[in-house]
Amino acid sequence: MEVRTLLEVSQPRGRGRWPAFVAGLGMVLAVGVLSMAQRSDGAEQSAQTAISLLMLLALVGLTAYNYHQARARRKEQAQVEAAEELVQLRRWPQAAMALQSVLSRPAYLPMARFQALLYFTSVLSRFHRFDDVIEICDHLLQILPPTAPPVHMIKVTRGMALLRQDRLFDADRAISDLRRFPQSNESGALALLELYRDVKTGHPNEALEMFGVRRDQIARQLGHRVADAYVLAAKAHDLLGHTDAAQAAYEAATLLAPAGELRRRYPEIADLAAKYRQTEAPAEVLA
Amino acid sequence: MTSVQSAISRFRRDLTIGAAVRGSLIFGAIFCLLGGPAGVFSTSALHGTVVLIAICFTWFVLGYRSIQSSRIAADSPLLIATGQLDEAEKRIDAALKGFSLFKANKLLSLHHFAMLRHAQRRWQESALLCGALLRQRMGAMGGLSRPASLLLADNLLHMGDLPGTYAALGRLYQQRLNLAEALTLQQLQLEYLSRVGAFDAMLAGLKSKVQLAELMPSSLSARTHAFLALAALKTGRIKLSDWLRKRAALLCEVQTLLTERPALAELWPNPAEASGGR
Repeated sequence: MEVRTLLEVSQPRGRGRWPAFVAGLGMVLAVGVLSMAQRSDGAEQSAQTAISLLMLLALVGLTAYNYHQARARRKEQAQVEAAEELVQLRRWPQAAMALQSVLSRPAYLPMARFQALLYFTSVLSRFHRFDDVIEICDHLLQILPPTAPPVHMIKVTRGMALLRQDRLFDADRAISDLRRFPQSNESGALALLELYRDVKTGHPNEALEMFGVRRDQIARQLGHRVADAYVLAAKAHDLLGHTDAAQAAYEAATLLAPAGELRRRYPEIADLAAKYRQTEAPAEVLA
Repeated sequence: MTSVQSAISRFRRDLTIGAAVRGSLIFGAIFCLLGGPAGVFSTSALHGTVVLIAICFTWFVLGYRSIQSSRIAADSPLLIATGQLDEAEKRIDAALKGFSLFKANKLLSLHHFAMLRHAQRRWQESALLCGALLRQRMGAMGGLSRPASLLLADNLLHMGDLPGTYAALGRLYQQRLNLAEALTLQQLQLEYLSRVGAFDAMLAGLKSKVQLAELMPSSLSARTHAFLALAALKTGRIKLSDWLRKRAALLCEVQTLLTERPALAELWPNPAEASGGR
């Protein structure tokens, strides 16, 4: 399904107005029965019976409605959480199917929709659909307040997609925008984005400077994705002709992530595989 | 600062009071609904309806107050994660002391309190809170028993109570865990097995253990890799140990790792050198 269609279809559904309508109708009926009872003697007992039944009906109806709503919300949240696990486990086709299923109907919870869209950007990046990633990021940035905590990560994702599309001017502008964040110096994701920009635009010295200063931060915040920083550092060393340093960085990168996966993420480093030795995983881990 | 014993006593008392209030209101409402048509309220025919409205009003007021108190405590995990422990303690204290019509709020607040004590490295107190929580019937909050059991196992491991850790971990094997819980369980299981010297068992299913470790946050991933490296070293698989050890060193500063888990010192006889090689 088209991403634009998913964005439209998944818009959160409004809260149903009929419970309020039913409650209002019940009140009118109760007042009516009460006023009738006051006018005719001996009808009070019947009035009380009618009102009691009405209240019982309203109570049961509203409880059933709330139960249905709560169950639908729980189900939606569980679907999003299951999709998140699939993304984490890198089961991309299954994650894509699960997220498409969540996003192809109006959402009960705006937060669940937001999470689903965020995970969907990871899946789309994996399939190199960077146009769609940018479209989702733009949509999320429109609906979120500018100071909301996820905004930074969404902008980084968008910046990475722009770089992958070779829209270097837009990417540079996106990075400048990210640099205006008060804590931009503490962001490992932004450091990785800048590192990639510097390698892609042929500024290996700046890339290595960034790598030297921010390597530990990237490792602390991004875990195994620090392999990306090492492989970009290897490329920067290679551009400068530092073969020993490039070899060491390439070995560190392939110690943490398979060379094929790194090539898929950064096509620019494809030539390193022919020049440098990669770290082989022990047989026990490959078995 | 709330003492753990008084928090547990208050928690139990509040659960009893909450159940009594809930039961009384529900019984009263049913009595009014059924008693009216049966002619129980014979003095004034509309008296039952008035009582019913009063009961509904009381329920909504108490329910609203309960939701308010649960909202106060809802941010506690975030505050704990970001190290704002004093603020978290204030909120949890308010939630534990406040009345709640719903059992779920109290269970959640006690769990947050256990998390707070764990973050403060007060393992014994956190273990007591987890124990008190797990002894309750959770009902709709059954899912809380899994994180509480994981927290209990971690506390007991820190306290050196290996039989207790084994029992807590054993309970978790009978439950369906989500990915985050499975990752925590794996890390606790490896640490427990290394303490009892079951190094061969640590390396069983190595491929999937390494794959799961790659999904963890960097410090936990480094620790998991280091424990696996220790097991490989102890069982004479030097090449595997070296590979795992190098991975751990790329993910986290070796000195930090050794400060947190001194048992791993065997892997890095010279930690300064290992960090320099990053």
